[in-house]
Amino acid sequence: MSSEAPEDRMRKFKYRGKDASMIRQHRIAVNVQLRKAKKDEQVLKRRNITNLCSHSASGEETKGVKLTLEEIISGVNASDPIICFQATQAARKMLSREKNPPLKRVVEAGLIPKLVEFLTSSLHPCLQFEAAWALTNIASGTSDQTRAVVEGGAVKPLVELLSSPNLIVCEQAVWALGNIAGDGAEFRDSVISSNAIPHLLALISSTTPITFLRNITWTLSNLCRNKNPYPCKKAVEQMLPVLSQLLQHQDNEVLSDTCWALSYLTESCIERIGQVVDMGVLPRLVQLMTSSELNILTPSLRTVGNIVTGSDHQTQLAIEAGILSVLPQLLLYPKSSIQKEAAWTLSNVAAGPQQHIQQLIDCNVLPPVLALLKNGEFKAQKEALWVVANFTNGGTVRQLIHLAYSGVLEPLVNLLTIPDAKFVVIILDIISFLLQAAEKLSKKECLCLLIEEPGGVDRIKILQFHENPHVALTAMNIIEKYFSENRVFGDELYKRLLSFLQEPGIMIR
Amino acid sequence: MELSDANLQTLTEYLKKTLDPDPAIRRPAEKFLESVEGNQNYPLLLLTLLEKSQDNVIKVCASVTFKNYIKRNWRIVEDEPNKICEADRVAIKANIVHLMLSSPEQIQKQLSDAISIIGREDFPQKWPDLLTEMVNRFQSGDFHVINGVLRTAHSLFKRYRHEFKSNELWTEIKLVLDAFALPLTNLFKATIELCSTHANDASALRILFSSLILISKLFYSLNFQDLPEFFEDNMETWMNNFHTLLTLDNKLLQTDDEEEAGLLELLKSQICDNAALYAQKYDEEFQRYLPRFVRAIWNLLITTGQEVKYDLLVSNAIQFLASVCERPHYKNLFEDQNTLTSICEKVIVPNMEFRAADEEAFEDNSEEYIRRDLEGSDIDTRRRAACDLVRGLCKFFEGPVTGIFSGYVNSMLQEYAKNPSVNWKHKDAAIYLVTSLASKAQTQKHGITQANELVNLTEFFVNHILPDLKSANVNEFPVLKADGIKYIMIFRNQVPKEQLLVSVPLLINYLQAESIVVHTYAAHALERLFTMKGPNHATLFTAAEIAPFVEILLTNLFKALTLPGSSENEYIMKAIMRSFSLLQEAIIPYIPTLITQLTQKLLAVSKNPSKPHFNHYMFEAICLSIRITCKANPAAVVNFEEALFLVFTEILQNDVQEFIPYVFQVMSLLLETHKNDIPSSYMALFPHLLQPVLWERTGNIPALVRLLQAFLERGSNTIASAAADKIPGLLGVFQKLIASKANDHQGFYLLNSIIEHMPPESVDQYRKQIFILLFQRLQNSKTTKFIKSFLVFINLYCIKYGALALQEIFDGIQPKMFGMVLEKIIIPEIQKVSGNVEKKICAVGITKLLTECPPMMDTEYTKLWTPLLQSLIGLFELPEDDSIPDEEHFIDIEDTPGYQTAFSQLAFAGKKEHDPVGQMVTNPKIHLAQSLHKLSTACPGRVPSMVSTSLNAEALQYLQGYLQAASVTLL
Repeated sequence: MSSEAPEDRMRKFKYRGKDASMIRQHRIAVNVQLRKAKKDEQVLKRRNITNLCSHSASGEETKGVKLTLEEIISGVNASDPIICFQATQAARKMLSREKNPPLKRVVEAGLIPKLVEFLTSSLHPCLQFEAAWALTNIASGTSDQTRAVVEGGAVKPLVELLSSPNLIVCEQAVWALGNIAGDGAEFRDSVISSNAIPHLLALISSTTPITFLRNITWTLSNLCRNKNPYPCKKAVEQMLPVLSQLLQHQDNEVLSDTCWALSYLTESCIERIGQVVDMGVLPRLVQLMTSSELNILTPSLRTVGNIVTGSDHQTQLAIEAGILSVLPQLLLYPKSSIQKEAAWTLSNVAAGPQQHIQQLIDCNVLPPVLALLKNGEFKAQKEALWVVANFTNGGTVRQLIHLAYSGVLEPLVNLLTIPDAKFVVIILDIISFLLQAAEKLSKKECLCLLIEEPGGVDRIKILQFHENPHVALTAMNIIEKYFSENRVFGDELYKRLLSFLQEPGIMIR
Repeated sequence: MELSDANLQTLTEYLKKTLDPDPAIRRPAEKFLESVEGNQNYPLLLLTLLEKSQDNVIKVCASVTFKNYIKRNWRIVEDEPNKICEADRVAIKANIVHLMLSSPEQIQKQLSDAISIIGREDFPQKWPDLLTEMVNRFQSGDFHVINGVLRTAHSLFKRYRHEFKSNELWTEIKLVLDAFALPLTNLFKATIELCSTHANDASALRILFSSLILISKLFYSLNFQDLPEFFEDNMETWMNNFHTLLTLDNKLLQTDDEEEAGLLELLKSQICDNAALYAQKYDEEFQRYLPRFVRAIWNLLITTGQEVKYDLLVSNAIQFLASVCERPHYKNLFEDQNTLTSICEKVIVPNMEFRAADEEAFEDNSEEYIRRDLEGSDIDTRRRAACDLVRGLCKFFEGPVTGIFSGYVNSMLQEYAKNPSVNWKHKDAAIYLVTSLASKAQTQKHGITQANELVNLTEFFVNHILPDLKSANVNEFPVLKADGIKYIMIFRNQVPKEQLLVSVPLLINYLQAESIVVHTYAAHALERLFTMKGPNHATLFTAAEIAPFVEILLTNLFKALTLPGSSENEYIMKAIMRSFSLLQEAIIPYIPTLITQLTQKLLAVSKNPSKPHFNHYMFEAICLSIRITCKANPAAVVNFEEALFLVFTEILQNDVQEFIPYVFQVMSLLLETHKNDIPSSYMALFPHLLQPVLWERTGNIPALVRLLQAFLERGSNTIASAAADKIPGLLGVFQKLIASKANDHQGFYLLNSIIEHMPPESVDQYRKQIFILLFQRLQNSKTTKFIKSFLVFINLYCIKYGALALQEIFDGIQPKMFGMVLEKIIIPEIQKVSGNVEKKICAVGITKLLTECPPMMDTEYTKLWTPLLQSLIGLFELPEDDSIPDEEHFIDIEDTPGYQTAFSQLAFAGKKEHDPVGQMVTNPKIHLAQSLHKLSTACPGRVPSMVSTSLNAEALQYLQGYLQAASVTLL
């Protein structure tokens, strides 16, 4: 009600007319991708191709006979449960072949309804097991194949199997449900609405065998996964307490999948991030970021990265949990994808209020960021550049000067030849911000020198003739304002620019 | 317009006339064509002509006219009528690709351009068949057709290289990749195979290689934004073939031309770019190919000759190596001593040699030579590339590289010593090598700022540079002389001062050299030396140290302006200016001759001003002469007026546009130097300055405003008494200026001077009108810049005429207006005011409003009292609000469509910052405290209660601080 407090006013200055939402979460900026999908993500679906099954439930294994698909079809339709079992087992074996399993043919042969029916044969756990296994493998296929399993009505009986007294049957059902949920938001929600979560959670106890626990954790992670929509609030509330317990586990695979689950949940919105942070998981996540296992480091770093896209308060909690003491080492990690994620995380911290920016300075984060900017792989360099861009966008004049004197200009100037117009403009904007700050503290001369020494002025001069008019205009403004020795303006350049603006297809603004 | 033979015939006639050299025939024909181009079928008539006309000239003319028509009209601009009817658009798109491909090359190029203009608007949504139509032609086997398609594709896709990434752009690229990437790859493979089957057929090879060049360019465009999945999967194919092509040579493709790059060079050059793109952006995926490319490119460099036609290829190739060698993970490719030696010996040294082409430029095209050598516009040259490679290698291998080169430098110097007149080029290369090795960082202002510590620069200077410069013959070995002078210039911060001082007379001597490069470098070196800073921000050289050379320095500088080719040499003029500035009163004895020479020069160049920098420094030098002389003897101003006014009159009479702003600035300086009343000669000029025609030119405005301000400052009483009838004219200028978004601030400068200096009674009758004008502008277009100036003005007014007068004038225009201005403008916007003096004016003005304006205390305006105080405290304490609403960012450009010459401000004619409240108030915070105290004694109890009830806590704390500092309290 009362007139604006100075605090609020300060906020307004922060982005200097730029759209604040542009700065955080830039990961989702461009949805269309030209690249191959990422290689280091968690697997969506898994086929069970265990060759040898020593479980008692499949004691008949060795006796199993090799049947053709036609024989299988007639077998599953037989009334004798033993013949049904043999046919189902044969089908399962076919689907578990290491190479070219005939998923498509099995689906087309119309086996699914029968397999689903067998899931409910509680008198024959061996048959239930074989059917569940076969369905698991079908569901591991393409989206259409998964759809066939779901539309064949498999979800409900599979969820019922979670309460089966037979542990092996139960485990196979967990796996099948994991594959179904992993397909996408739609089937994930079918599994959730079939009330699978309470049953899954009930399976976890201190005596759960480790392989089984791994399976359950993986399935849980798929229930957290995918967007449009993200999983509902209630489901998340059900899973989170258990996930935060699993986060304390010692097993690498359990930890990895738990972290992936948390990374999916924190992807969605500030509210979800809040739910996750409220579980008090941050200190443990920070600890896991120092893990020597890449499959734990990757998802824990991702989760923390997602958390700092949240509110200033959430970011503050992450800082208090110690992320700024771990991230600098990760910037120097031998794998560039980790460097990139770490820099991305820092870029969102730098997009925060000035006290967060101060933390970056105090925790000595700048030197490794600048090292990355200088020598990193291109993708990592780009993220490091975002750190610097957000820093200069929101920092105080003094913080900007600190940045300038930390040696940011040489790598920035070197990157001016980067083949990417957008980033060139970002670099030019950073340079302008630094110059403006330097002007306010009467340090313009020094800064101009720091820009010119590594050849910056030459490069900016050339950029005045860049084909992209935004680049040209930004470069021209800098040269005119800070580097033209006398005020004889370049008429030619100006006219060229005006003609640019009149060219069809180019709009300034 | 129907597609009839009659119309075709008419069109043919008019097209023919547009080629007529006689404008009386040509212009009406062009006008006619423009007048009919809006008709349906017009473009189709042109297409018919370019396809079917019997006359080849008409065909080409129709194709050019068609392209220009498309360029002007195809784009549909929002809110403007569609200039081409839909049926024509459809017909054009249905036929143009086929037409383009079946036309001879000259027409093909025009149509290809037209396709890319249309494509820019319509592709892909409104032209979905284009890609398939093009791809289908790849099967034709006819490389004339294929090259047409490739050229068109290139012009459509090359914008991917410089546009910002966006969903829209990437969707388009994805679409293109889906349709185009595989056929392009197949075409690439097929073309390479054809090259080997036709290895002995020169004319076939030439066509095939043109295709390969275009394919490589397309590869660059398609891979620019990000690494597409397709190209990642097919990297093997592309990179293996690129690698093979890099190493390929075919006698049949070699050209005899020494200057123009041949197909082979162009192709390899593009492949270097492609490899560099991958190395820079897709390092992870490209890593395993990179070592092969490094080796291939380096072999290429070793085997490529010195001819000019290879320049682009060589500099691209060297730049590739330079960018790779400074990456830590490729260090190992270079670290072997033999590798390093071979790169130094076979790549760097040969490319640093002074070639015949350089020698030609040195003698015949010195301006260009100087620009390249001195100002760093040598980006694409071999020398620059080699220099960059040295710097790149020095990052990790400074020691070994310095070691290798030392050996070379020594042997080259020995060669030179054996027979200087034959081997002088060896010394040139040696100096160049030392320079590139030693300079790690360089700026125009300071020369080299970081040097390689392994190179002893002073020793090299004393042993190898100084002896050359001391030679008796200033015209012998001019290239080496230029090298030596340049060495002083760039290493001026490394060479000790004593040595530099030894060089000064030598440099002065070289001002007489015949070679333009040599005497220009000498002037430039002197100018740079004189600008060097020593301790305490003073210049490194004192006037006393240079004093012994004053006479010869000035004589030689002016003499150099008479050497052939240097009559308007900007470096010399700048050196003149700098010498004046350094020597100060030491030049006074020479002023009579100097000013005569300068005015003569001015008169001469004003006939045809062509060198803006030269002219600028010349005026600066004139200003300096005036300042230096009149500082010691103000009465001397009359002598300058005598010397200059004649030329100035000439310039004004002949309307020499470039010089008029300068003339006004010099006159302002002269006028401000007068201590007494304004001389009548100036008053005679006054009415002329108000002529609208002078104000039409944007470039004049700042200088004219400056001059009028000088008139108001020195002659306000004279104007009021002797030229009162000119006051409306003065206000007319103000009115014109504030109407423009670009010049409104100049209008305010003028208005502020009027308010500050004119006797109040002389402007009384105009005051209300002034405010009404300002409100009109505020309503029409309110920009941040205008608001800032407006705020400064009303506060200045308040200071000058009193707070009550300000309130009265507002409320006299419209009741309650004052409250509205406070609430809508002053309180919310005051934070935007920038500049120390401006902020001070506003602070003092607002203080007056708070404490000397009774209506603020006892009318409905009272409710604004605390918010106003709060915003004043904000002005003191908060950072400046430099945000500008988005829609305002490009005002400057939009607003100056008739851009003429921009204003050129003279540094040495500079006006000192003027503070109209200077003596009155020194510390505005204390002033506020004292004024509040005074107010509170007048109405005890009210001020503390207003302050404590609604001022926010932080502001209150600041205010208490001010009161404490002023040792007053509120009663």
